[in-house]
Amino acid sequence: MMNPKVVDHLFRHHYGKMVSILTRIFGLSNLEIIEDAIQDTFAQAILKWRNQFPENPEAWLTRAAKNRAIDLLRQSKATQKRIERVASGPAVSQLNEMFLDHEIEDSQLRMIFVACHPNLDSKEQIAFALKTISGFSTREIASALLINEDTVSKRLSRARKKIVKKSISFNFPDAHELPKRMARVMEVIYLTFNEGFHSNNKKILVRQDLCGEAIRLCKLMLKKEKLRSGELYALFALMCFHAARLESKISANNEIIDLRHQDRSKWLFPLIVLGNDAMNKAIETEEFSPYHFEAAIAAEHVRSPSFEKTNWHKILTYYQRLNELQFSEGSLVNMAMVQLQLGEYEAARANLERVRIKELGQRAYLYYGCFAEYYTKVKNIPEAVSYLDKTILRVTNELEKEHLLKKRDHLSALIK
Amino acid sequence: MKDFMMIFIGADYEELGLSPEELQGRMGKWWAWNNKMEAAGILKGGNALIPTAKRVSGPDRTVSDGPFVEGKELVGGYYIITAENADEVVKVAEDYPDYDLGGTVEIREVMVFDQ
Repeated sequence: MMNPKVVDHLFRHHYGKMVSILTRIFGLSNLEIIEDAIQDTFAQAILKWRNQFPENPEAWLTRAAKNRAIDLLRQSKATQKRIERVASGPAVSQLNEMFLDHEIEDSQLRMIFVACHPNLDSKEQIAFALKTISGFSTREIASALLINEDTVSKRLSRARKKIVKKSISFNFPDAHELPKRMARVMEVIYLTFNEGFHSNNKKILVRQDLCGEAIRLCKLMLKKEKLRSGELYALFALMCFHAARLESKISANNEIIDLRHQDRSKWLFPLIVLGNDAMNKAIETEEFSPYHFEAAIAAEHVRSPSFEKTNWHKILTYYQRLNELQFSEGSLVNMAMVQLQLGEYEAARANLERVRIKELGQRAYLYYGCFAEYYTKVKNIPEAVSYLDKTILRVTNELEKEHLLKKRDHLSALIK
Repeated sequence: MKDFMMIFIGADYEELGLSPEELQGRMGKWWAWNNKMEAAGILKGGNALIPTAKRVSGPDRTVSDGPFVEGKELVGGYYIITAENADEVVKVAEDYPDYDLGGTVEIREVMVFDQ
């Protein structure tokens, strides 16, 4: 009887590895053929493995994908010379070295820099990264980002065209460019994470996949010494802390559970430990980044045994420092939220009044929600209900909308 | 006990463009089914078939190269199992993993010639 041990996501992750390594060998201009070759390999693998499971499935996939890519590329005239050079002669041993573990990681990192190249816009970056590095299909990307498949295909093909047209190279950025390029990479990773964390996708698995991929990419970058920084560790810690409570955010009936009501025993302890370790490394630097303060805030939440016992004073200080470092209307609202917990109602109101609502864009509902909370706290229930209505009008996330509707019904009942 | 062949038609993975994650999931289901039949001691053998085909036909033994049918009509593989009767095989075939992809199982009894 077969008892094959296949690692979770082996195919998906191996896809990303193979795309990166083969792109390094055959060039970004052959990306599409390379992706086809790897896709074919998987379809073949599961037929061939049905009766006989290879001893080392990863090695099997690697060998098959390489051969399939060479076959497909041979068929295209333009690359023939290059392929012959690569597939035979002294280049072969060099080629084999490319498949060593550390070289594969190296190739994946290069691919991350391609995906986060400043010539692509941020939507293209996320879609492209999910496809080529994380091995998501067009359909999976569409379902994860809640957009339709056509949009995904368009973004992917735009990204591919730009990469060829602007001759984006498959190399690490130069040293002087690195900090700027890293900043963008971290942003894309964080955006991907947030897509998962704040998504209104009802499938918890899809959300976990996105968050998991962001964390995995971040971890990959941390392995490379020259890419490590306090900021990168802080980003990693931040995502671990948030991810630890991902599952407890949604009830069995698919309803949002807010921080106050989450079952803290369901938070994933190993992730919190991982985050703590990263945080310790993150604070070895002298300069703190916004990620540092966001991570510190998240850490404070996961550290607290209950909502009531949260150290709101500390959190408020972190928000203030975050705001000094990188002012945003969003953190004004967050600060007000914390001040409400501290009973500093008028200070909260003052902060809210400073907010330029337009700047909040789609997150304007948070501002109205915070005002509703303010009026609840100062016991002006009719105003609270009216602000909740304004919030409900603006919220796009279905789950949050349901949550707010319940809250409003509860409050309205009080005035009747 | 008699021998039956389960013939799997359609659900060509390459043509359906399944994602790596989905393919891995399919593979897990095939193994689970395979293991279940082995544990019951009914599985005698079987294979997956490569879609490309050759046909030899006519008195001149004319050879043509396929595939000759669309993916949804393509025989993708077979298993041979032992069972009392076809109804038992139908039960076994309920676990075939690819119904949701438009796949079909055809059940045929293997003919036994009298000595």
